Amino acid sequence: MVEIVFLAPFLLGILSFFLPKETGRIFLVLTGAIHLFLSVNLWRKRPEALLPDYFSVTPEGLLSLIVISLLFFLISIYTAAYLEESKLESEKMFIGSMMLFLSTMTMVTLSDHIMVMWIAIEATTLASAPLIFTHRSKASLEATWKYVLICSVGIAMALLGTVLISLAMDVGQVNVPLSFSELSNAAKDLDPMWLKAGFVLILVGYGTKMGLAPMHTWLPDAHSEAPSPASALLSGVLLNCAYLGIFKTNKIMIAAGLNDFSGTILIVFGLMSILAAATFILKQTEYKRLLAYSSIENMGIIAFGTGIGGVGAYGAILCLIHHSLIKSSLFLTSGNILMGYGSRLIEKTGNLAKLMPKTLVAFLGGFAGISGFPPFGIFIGEMFIIVGAFRTGHYVAVVIFILSLCVIFAGFAKHVMKMSFENVEDDTDIQLEERASMIWPQYILLATSIVLFLWIPDTLFKTIIDAVSAVGGGF
Amino acid sequence: MIHSVDTILSLVLLSVLFAFASNRVTVLIKVIAFQGIIVSLVPLFTSSELTMGSINFILVTLAIRGIIIPLCIYLAIKKVSISKEVEPIIGYHASLFAGLLLIFAATYVSHRFNIPSVSESLLLMPTAITILVAGMFLLMARRNAIAMVLGYIMMENGIYLVGTTFSTRTHHIVEFGILLDVLAGVMIMAIMLQNIKQKFDNVDTLHLRNLKE
Repeated sequence: MVEIVFLAPFLLGILSFFLPKETGRIFLVLTGAIHLFLSVNLWRKRPEALLPDYFSVTPEGLLSLIVISLLFFLISIYTAAYLEESKLESEKMFIGSMMLFLSTMTMVTLSDHIMVMWIAIEATTLASAPLIFTHRSKASLEATWKYVLICSVGIAMALLGTVLISLAMDVGQVNVPLSFSELSNAAKDLDPMWLKAGFVLILVGYGTKMGLAPMHTWLPDAHSEAPSPASALLSGVLLNCAYLGIFKTNKIMIAAGLNDFSGTILIVFGLMSILAAATFILKQTEYKRLLAYSSIENMGIIAFGTGIGGVGAYGAILCLIHHSLIKSSLFLTSGNILMGYGSRLIEKTGNLAKLMPKTLVAFLGGFAGISGFPPFGIFIGEMFIIVGAFRTGHYVAVVIFILSLCVIFAGFAKHVMKMSFENVEDDTDIQLEERASMIWPQYILLATSIVLFLWIPDTLFKTIIDAVSAVGGGF
Repeated sequence: MIHSVDTILSLVLLSVLFAFASNRVTVLIKVIAFQGIIVSLVPLFTSSELTMGSINFILVTLAIRGIIIPLCIYLAIKKVSISKEVEPIIGYHASLFAGLLLIFAATYVSHRFNIPSVSESLLLMPTAITILVAGMFLLMARRNAIAMVLGYIMMENGIYLVGTTFSTRTHHIVEFGILLDVLAGVMIMAIMLQNIKQKFDNVDTLHLRNLKE
């Protein structure tokens, strides 16, 4: 039974609203563990869904699911310690929303019906809104408002796109269920004009949620205002969920033989996002916003790779997995820094090397990983994308791509070096003891990325190849 | 021949112009409620066979789109004494003119498309396109946060109209899920509105300009 994977956290999440604070924290970790167990089980057995019209187990869904599950488990361990340190007023709301958020994201990875996919993605917006609003300040209110309104309107566009795809079926007189897998099989008969229109709207809609420029404006605000564990979830897995919607629609486009059309649009949006990130990273003053812009950059890289196809698509999936691992570890680390220094400004933080040595290791490791250094996986992902782009003859695009990556690295490095080694003006007291449960989740995430760089298990490799072969990817 | 549904749809088109020219938030809420009711009734006229299930679904849609959603927004703003002006970025006369242009453009465009399922009704496509774009227009051209939420709802109504008229193959259970999402979204927005009012003492989104870059 596939549905239990998202029903379990949903029911547990509702239950947690009624539990006292301390029990709630243990409950959160427990939910993470149960979810991880269920996901691994699903990966091994790959059963049929109870409602096969709406849900199914697909390779790309499985990949996202296992990443979500692992991340959530580690983040939940961090969160338990974080909540003890930070003493939030609305802790119950926070814990409950985390679990509902997990449930909705799981539903995204398992849905096969295009409308159910939409429902699940919109539900992720609604479940995560209370997380961003946790601090109840003016700034967090503004960030939540922007997030809910921009994403709802964006996702409404995706709904319109979905309706247009069903119109493409009517016009082409195709009579199959409205599911991604059936539509990919019947893609040749769909009316190409309406299919194209639907794809563009879906790309704009889910692209808003994924943080592709120029629809990315909500993302830096939401990520910087949300408490760090929530930012880690938003950046590490929510963006992947939105990407999944685009990926599956792209699958239909490629099956219909419209890969030139969809590829070009993806490349353009991808490059725009990378360029936007490069512009804003240089003059960033807050480190959480810096990380948020880096997410926009990585989403751009993933869209670019998907657009290129071939080895590029394989690289994009690698980037997707490793970005989740590394970026969520960075956001958790930023939580430590924020609690230690009590400020989000880069200029108020410094000399991490002396003041928070364990945090520094995680921070520098994450920085090296996200900038695409070996032995972290993003390195191979980006390399495959660049090779793929040269092979397919996208010379201009790949030059812009590489130059922007250099600019982003330079900007990022400047800020990171300042935070790590330069002295702050007045000697700040660090208000945080570096406990094991607030350090080890980051180390494990980074270590996973290194392990997957050196050795990909066969089953994982096969699943990635299965997923990308449908979008014309592979070797 | 004029299809019976065209009569009520023409009222929806007029209500768009009415919404563009009005400066009161309360008027906008009434327009949204009216459009919600009409939009949910359209399947009664267009679908070829009516089952018990579809009639129930229409009633639920009517209750949510026509009554609960507008009521939600109304209650959210009733308690707090908010200035009821919509604070336009684009003036009322210009908005009205834009509305007229929009209706013309929508009619022109929809005659270009040749869609079999809506060919009997003259106004179905133009109305759907008009309220969809009109919602987006309100989102962009009004600074008042309530007017922005209402713009979003109007847009949703437009998408629903497009969805019900274009395609008959979606299941009620799926449409019900979409409806629930929209409802929950509007409720969250209503809560946000109250919070914005408490924290900023105003719902003009000019105050929401602190986070940048």
